[in-house]
Amino acid sequence: MSKKEPVLFRIGWNACINCGACVAVCPQEAGFISPFDTIAVDTPCDIACMACEEICPVTTITHYLHEIDAA
Amino acid sequence: MYDLLVVGSGPAGATTARIASERGLRVLLIDKRQELGAPIQCSGAVSGHALEEVGLSPEGEFVQEAIYGFSIYNQEGQKTTIDYRQLKPDEYGTGEGKKPLGYVVDRRRFDRYLMTLAERAGAEVWLKTEGPGLSTLPDGSCRVLLRRFNKELEVQARVLVGADGLQSQVGKWAGMRTHIKLRELASCLQFVVDGVETDGLLEIVTGHRWAPGGYAWVFPKGHGYAEIGLGVTRTMTRQNAQAHLEQFLKESFFKDRFKGLRILEIQGGGVPLAAPLRTQYADNLILVGDAARHVNPITGGGIHTALSGGKIAAHFLSELLAKGKKPSRQNLKGYQDRWLEERGNFIWKLYGEKSKIFKNKDISSRDEQLYQIMSGYFSPHSEYKKI
Ligand SMILES: Cc1cc2nc3c(=O)[nH]c(=O)nc-3n(C[C@H](O)[C@H](O)[C@H](O)COP(=O)(O)OP(=O)(O)OC[C@H]3O[C@@H](n4cnc5c(N)ncnc54)[C@H](O)[C@@H]3O)c2cc1C
Repeated sequence: MSKKEPVLFRIGWNACINCGACVAVCPQEAGFISPFDTIAVDTPCDIACMACEEICPVTTITHYLHEIDAA
Repeated sequence: MYDLLVVGSGPAGATTARIASERGLRVLLIDKRQELGAPIQCSGAVSGHALEEVGLSPEGEFVQEAIYGFSIYNQEGQKTTIDYRQLKPDEYGTGEGKKPLGYVVDRRRFDRYLMTLAERAGAEVWLKTEGPGLSTLPDGSCRVLLRRFNKELEVQARVLVGADGLQSQVGKWAGMRTHIKLRELASCLQFVVDGVETDGLLEIVTGHRWAPGGYAWVFPKGHGYAEIGLGVTRTMTRQNAQAHLEQFLKESFFKDRFKGLRILEIQGGGVPLAAPLRTQYADNLILVGDAARHVNPITGGGIHTALSGGKIAAHFLSELLAKGKKPSRQNLKGYQDRWLEERGNFIWKLYGEKSKIFKNKDISSRDEQLYQIMSGYFSPHSEYKKI
């Protein structure tokens, strides 16, 4: 398994300054965003590079593994 | 059908819209915000020359404080001061017939002012409007889906101008890879504060201890306020910008000066210390400003380059459409060529210098190089001083 496991991002909105730096470094395709100038929080990310977590000036992005239901 | 649909009304988009409207194009300018410039993600330092170049004068509506020069500090607090009040006393200063070198502007007011000028020039402006997608039409124009106050609508335009800033999505709609590498985006945080004195100078503090892969700043902010901030490259430090800013306030050679400060506003964002996008155009589409990474990779300044990029875009597009040419990928390459010639080649050169310094793994000599380039950059003899 070379592919990373998909993750879901969680944003601590209390600390978020809505600066959009996380979106700027995100290699996902168009639309992987929330209405609050952040990366998407409700869509699994299969790239899981975590650049968004790194760039955040206030470190308010975390992630958890997205469990894929066996179809 | 519009000639131009400009997405994003920051300095780049509003300038493109204003000048294109003045030159007779039918322009729709949209922005997703309800108030432009808010929340603020910028320190607002801009040279007088940058305003002049695009026909703007420094209005009281947006100027917070006049600037006369720079002080560049190394990690220990040694400084180089470049004060134009002393270097060119006949030209710069507060007396009659003299002028400031630049300004610190309030981005909320500045961006609103630029939008107003675009509207007065004839552009239509819709706030609370964002664009989720784009398709090219057989007649050579394009159709853009918009969402405005929850209503979905479609707009047809000849050219879509992506001026949607750092978090640009417009290029991605056309399949361009526009994201910035983590090691080329400085992570920044700043406080607007009361209780810290300044003297009409932009103060820049270099040194790995305070701001690895970036620098710290103290700018005058009007009304006796200041802004104190810094940017760091996250691949050069394990700590975030917030932690570095706390350390700078408490431990740096300015700690006594900062002792009584009160925080009035908290702002931040990403500053690309990156190269311009190699391709800033596609069929029916060009990018301008931060979206195309029209930024100075040494200082991180992007207002000047956004304004001038907007002007170049507006001139190019109005000429292209007046000739009846199709805004195809092939034809729009001319925009990038012109931008490179007027601005971009200089920026590429600066990027080369920045990269050389950042590749140096020896921290103390890298610090010295950064201090030297910053000090040289703002000197009256610098070949870059007008970027
Ligand atoms: C902390 C910090 C400090 C800075 N300090 C300085 C400084 O002192 N001097 C300087 O020159 N530069 C500074 N910069 C850089 C400067 O802020 C930017 O380079 C500049 O704002 C770029 O202008 P722009 O018009 O390209 O984009 P922006 O100003 O980012 O404008 C983009 C606009 O597009 C809108 N938008 C985005 N997406 C959409 C969408 N999908 N639909 C509709 N609208 C959309 C946004 O709401 C916004 O209004 C700083 C940056 C930061 C982060």
